[in-house]
Amino acid sequence: MVKKKKTKHVLRPWCWYCERDFEDEKVLMQHQKAKHFKCGHCPRKLNTAGGLAVHIQQVHKLDPEPIENALQGRNGYDIEIFGMEGIPAADVATYKRKKELELGLPVGYFGNKAGEQNKPTTKRNYENRVYTFEELRGMLETHRQLMGREDDKMDTTADASGPVLHAAPQTYVLPTGLPGLPPPIPPVGVPGIPPLSMTGPPGVPPVPVLPFPPSLPGMPPFPPGPAPPGMPPFPPAPGMMPPPGFAGLPPPEALGGPPPGGPSITPAPPRKDPGPWLSKPPSNTTPQSVPSSPMKRMVLASKTPSGPFDPVAAGLKENTVLQWTDMDFSPLERRAEDPKYSQFDASEDIEMNEAGGRSARSRAKARDFLD
Amino acid sequence: MTFLVELELETTPTDGIACLAWSTVDQKNLLVGSWDSSLRLYDTDANKQLAKFDHKAAVLGACFSPDGRSVFSGGLDTWLRMWDLQQEEFRVLSTHSRPISSLIYSQVTNNIITGSWDATLAVHDPRSATPKVASYDLPERVYHMDSVGNTLVVAMGGRKINIYDVRKMEKPTQERESSLRFMTRALACMPSGEGFAIASIEGRVAVEIFDMSPAVQAKKYAFKCHRQTIDGNDHVWPVNSLAFHPIHHTFASAGSDGLVSIWDHTAKKRLRQYPQYHNAVNAISFNAAGSKLAIGVSYGWDKGQEGARAPENGRVSIFVRQVTDKEVMPKSKA
Repeated sequence: MVKKKKTKHVLRPWCWYCERDFEDEKVLMQHQKAKHFKCGHCPRKLNTAGGLAVHIQQVHKLDPEPIENALQGRNGYDIEIFGMEGIPAADVATYKRKKELELGLPVGYFGNKAGEQNKPTTKRNYENRVYTFEELRGMLETHRQLMGREDDKMDTTADASGPVLHAAPQTYVLPTGLPGLPPPIPPVGVPGIPPLSMTGPPGVPPVPVLPFPPSLPGMPPFPPGPAPPGMPPFPPAPGMMPPPGFAGLPPPEALGGPPPGGPSITPAPPRKDPGPWLSKPPSNTTPQSVPSSPMKRMVLASKTPSGPFDPVAAGLKENTVLQWTDMDFSPLERRAEDPKYSQFDASEDIEMNEAGGRSARSRAKARDFLD
Repeated sequence: MTFLVELELETTPTDGIACLAWSTVDQKNLLVGSWDSSLRLYDTDANKQLAKFDHKAAVLGACFSPDGRSVFSGGLDTWLRMWDLQQEEFRVLSTHSRPISSLIYSQVTNNIITGSWDATLAVHDPRSATPKVASYDLPERVYHMDSVGNTLVVAMGGRKINIYDVRKMEKPTQERESSLRFMTRALACMPSGEGFAIASIEGRVAVEIFDMSPAVQAKKYAFKCHRQTIDGNDHVWPVNSLAFHPIHHTFASAGSDGLVSIWDHTAKKRLRQYPQYHNAVNAISFNAAGSKLAIGVSYGWDKGQEGARAPENGRVSIFVRQVTDKEVMPKSKA
């Protein structure tokens, strides 16, 4: 049973600037000196980012440039890093999470000193789900009995609030244009007991709230704004498959071959029509509305709607996001199609000192006449 | 004089950068072709725009003549122009039926070779009264060309690559398919003449060798770059430009992620990555001495026309970075 020795994963010291990990902290410090805290103007290596900034300012009288070889957003001088010291807690947490994912370890394997990992361990005293209308009604009844108060007016409002089930608690605010209407529910007025449902931003004054949500055990608080903390940010969505139907790799016959006509020797006057590339939009790249999973839409929300692109069909990993998904035309060709760039001939005519140019110009005029 | 590692040119084109070309004689003169239909000439030491050549449409390719006195340009208006830098006048050498995507001056034959989206290559003699010498049909649109010595490499759509001997252009010496699975976006030849590097829109660079013998071909390889994991998704940007250092046999790659990296392709290692730029890096180019790296930064059309309207994509910059040997030299095995 010697073989079955359980390998224990230890979090090795890692560099905040480039997220590389090292054998021990000494090596890490050597790495940081050599890779990140090296002066670009002399061979000097400094111990910290601050040291480097001061060095560049005082010795070379220059403004410090962003730290070299650093990840995006980590090339600044505002955070003082020395080995593993000084790394922001949030970055430690995300790094741990990343490592856990990489090694296939359970969440919180590397300890949960900081960040989101400690939240799931604190036990909730309510279930985190959306209640059915019947359940809510039942809860309202028990709550009313508890409060010892029956109010028909409340009942109608509660009925009317049916569709608002999924809304934030703020929507339960009563119309303010009803003077004389007493606050319908004691919790608001009871000093010292803040209504439970007021999980909104602190500092918001307690507004009159409809009776049923507060102080009811087992009620979801419907926190306004972001999802409850402690939930993994984006579940990997195991069953998610991008929409099928992508053609795959670049079809070589995208253009239908070269134009006919052999080599021409004399310089022909330039064609003044907008060009054949305008009249040949590829049929398979026209924007289509594709039903896509929410995950996909989220990722591609800021992308060009250049039709569906399936990274898996194209031989890539599932979670690959290509920034250019048009397999038939290059960014330059697409850009050239834009009216801003393709409609140049009629608007602008440069004076020519050449025969070829002059003929081109007269042609443009003829064309204008025909149009 | 303060020593600046990187300077940003004060006057820039008003729209995206399309191409960069250094003067062959003057180490400080830089040509910038842009989508704003201009070709601009800069003195990068004085940080001054020396001239602006207006075109009818975006300028996609430009290069200097070997004497540095004239300039060739081509682009969406389909004309190959030759500009006299003294007179600031141009002559149309020839036209293609669709935009010219790339042009190369061959110092071997003293011809200017244009590649176009009309799927032809054309060879021109700028001194002749009828400049167009020949035109050759290709299977696909020409995306990019580069040459070293007698060899011309033409990267086309459909992942096709043709290799020519500029002295015998009738037939390609090799017809290859890109070893990358996605559309070729950039190409650069090794100054040593051994091979070339290509890059695809799917954040990947391949180093290829001209010599077809199996022993040498075993050295070719590809690697991933210009990608980043965000929220568990692997975001992949196109590699827009490649440039070999003229002396040290290393090369730089530039991506739409706004990063420029220097690679040592023999050691298969990244030597350096410069701090991220504010937008996509559209083009990079080393000057002939390898002392300067021009970096064109502007919106790269990855998000189409909508992206062009975004205010953060309005900035256009040209950076000129002083390149020290330390940055681009392969690390000695210590």
